[in-house]
Amino acid sequence: MLVADFEVARREFSVRVNVQVRPGERVALLGRSGAGKTTTVEALAGLQRLSRGEIRLGGRLLSSAWYPTADVPPGRRRVGLLRQDTGLFPHLTVLQNIGYAREADPAAARATAERLGLGALVGARPRGLSGGEAQRVSLARALQAKVGLLCLDEPFTSLDRPLSVELLELLRRELDGSGTSAILVTHQLEEAQAFAQRLAVLHRGEILQVADARDLVLRPASREVAELVGYRGWLSSGPQTMGLHPDRVYPVAAADDWEISARVVGLVPQGARIELELEAEGRWRGRFRCRSDRSVPIGELMWFACPGAPIFRTAEQHRGALSDP
Amino acid sequence: MRGAGVRVSTGAALFGALIVWVALLGPLISLLAHLTPASVWNALSQPGALQPLVTSVTASLVALAVILLLGTPLAYLMARGRLPFPRIWEAGVILPLLTPPLVIGLLLIFMVGPATPIGAALSHLNLTASDTFFALIVAEIYESVPFYVLGAMAAFATVDPALEQAAALLGDGRWRTWRRVTIPMAAPGLANALAVTWARAMGAFGAVLIIAYHPFGLPMQIWVTLQETGLASALPYALVLLVVALPLPVAAYIWSARARRRL
Repeated sequence: MLVADFEVARREFSVRVNVQVRPGERVALLGRSGAGKTTTVEALAGLQRLSRGEIRLGGRLLSSAWYPTADVPPGRRRVGLLRQDTGLFPHLTVLQNIGYAREADPAAARATAERLGLGALVGARPRGLSGGEAQRVSLARALQAKVGLLCLDEPFTSLDRPLSVELLELLRRELDGSGTSAILVTHQLEEAQAFAQRLAVLHRGEILQVADARDLVLRPASREVAELVGYRGWLSSGPQTMGLHPDRVYPVAAADDWEISARVVGLVPQGARIELELEAEGRWRGRFRCRSDRSVPIGELMWFACPGAPIFRTAEQHRGALSDP
Repeated sequence: MRGAGVRVSTGAALFGALIVWVALLGPLISLLAHLTPASVWNALSQPGALQPLVTSVTASLVALAVILLLGTPLAYLMARGRLPFPRIWEAGVILPLLTPPLVIGLLLIFMVGPATPIGAALSHLNLTASDTFFALIVAEIYESVPFYVLGAMAAFATVDPALEQAAALLGDGRWRTWRRVTIPMAAPGLANALAVTWARAMGAFGAVLIIAYHPFGLPMQIWVTLQETGLASALPYALVLLVVALPLPVAAYIWSARARRRL
């Protein structure tokens, strides 16, 4: 089990992380660029010095800022790190790259290569590989290292969406039953949801919320979290702000106490559907969006239901904490 | 019109390059033009004629080993910026390159000569840095070490530190990373640096003249023969020096060019 409670000092802000990951569990660290996600996984991998706290994996102390300080070197922590830059060794073949790790077994390396669809490339050099193939090799190499924790720092971001989905699925299958915990760093909610059992939202160096994949979207703890998981409509009424997710706003036929009247001010095609841009009228004021199967004339007044939409206290603008029910 | 202008300027550049190339190779061509197989055989078949060659090769091999052993870690640390006051370290490496070899020889007398503290310490080890084989090695090291350290620095700088980090994350310690990633990737550049250093050590003359007149290495043999019996007698030794000193740099250049293409 990973038990990490630490702080890493950075120029703009300190990254403070308190997270526990069970053996075999997959967690996604979700946050915008510059939120401190990479710093977090680098600290776990031993590439960043802690300014406070400690990191333990399987009961073993890896890093500690407390006296007596500890700092197990990266190669001895049993923590793997997969980055967007594959870091393949250009002077070695694909098979030599896969079997590079100290604990790697040549037979297992070949078997992993076959399983990941690299059988025909084992003798090739990294220079001739496509982006997807290179990431596969990097993935196979990381899996051979027999680590207790695998950190994935947006490894597939540069690949096209179907390929990145395929590789994440492949990784999930490889991790299942291996007992290896994994932390995926990403800024894409869909990727985080597809991979992880739990999501942790990091914002300016602080974990704002840890929840399971669906709960995070249904009950964001703050406006920052809500924005990160796709809430794009903000309606205010006195001291309260209501967050609206385009997938959770529904056109309805008749008015009700909890429903919102809004006028259509714009139409934006979204795949097979149309996203309506709406201006609320009545008690709640502001703009929001709703996905619809049919086109609607601009200027039309409609009624919308938004069950369970989170309401935030605007008095705490800086954090926008969720209101008590 | 623009196309014609480009053709003229390309032609002029090619002509200029050809002149430089011929000028650089000119001395070698002249040497070969003034030698006959008989004159070479006559000079080299004299008793003891090949002793300077043996002396030069042996001294250069020892010098090369010392430079490799001490210069490689230094070049790596400098390339990675892991030494405090990096400019001072760089200045120390470049200084022997900028100092005229004769001056290096004079300064070495004041540093390691028999009357100095280092000279006294060396005498306890039965070593004397004046007119000895040991002095020849010292002079060759001073004349050639910057070529290796600067070349090796450039070679190490081409190795992406992220690859060393990747190796570390896969369980390698520093030494293992160095052996499995850093050295193989820097090898083409290191080979070039080593080959140039070999050629410089074999041809070291200025500092050698001051502190290691004896035993005669090839450059000294060329000088003495030139002084005593004239140009024609010295030329066969010049050819031997080129034949021994040049193949390694040429081979290293060809090998490293191929190795770079594989990376």
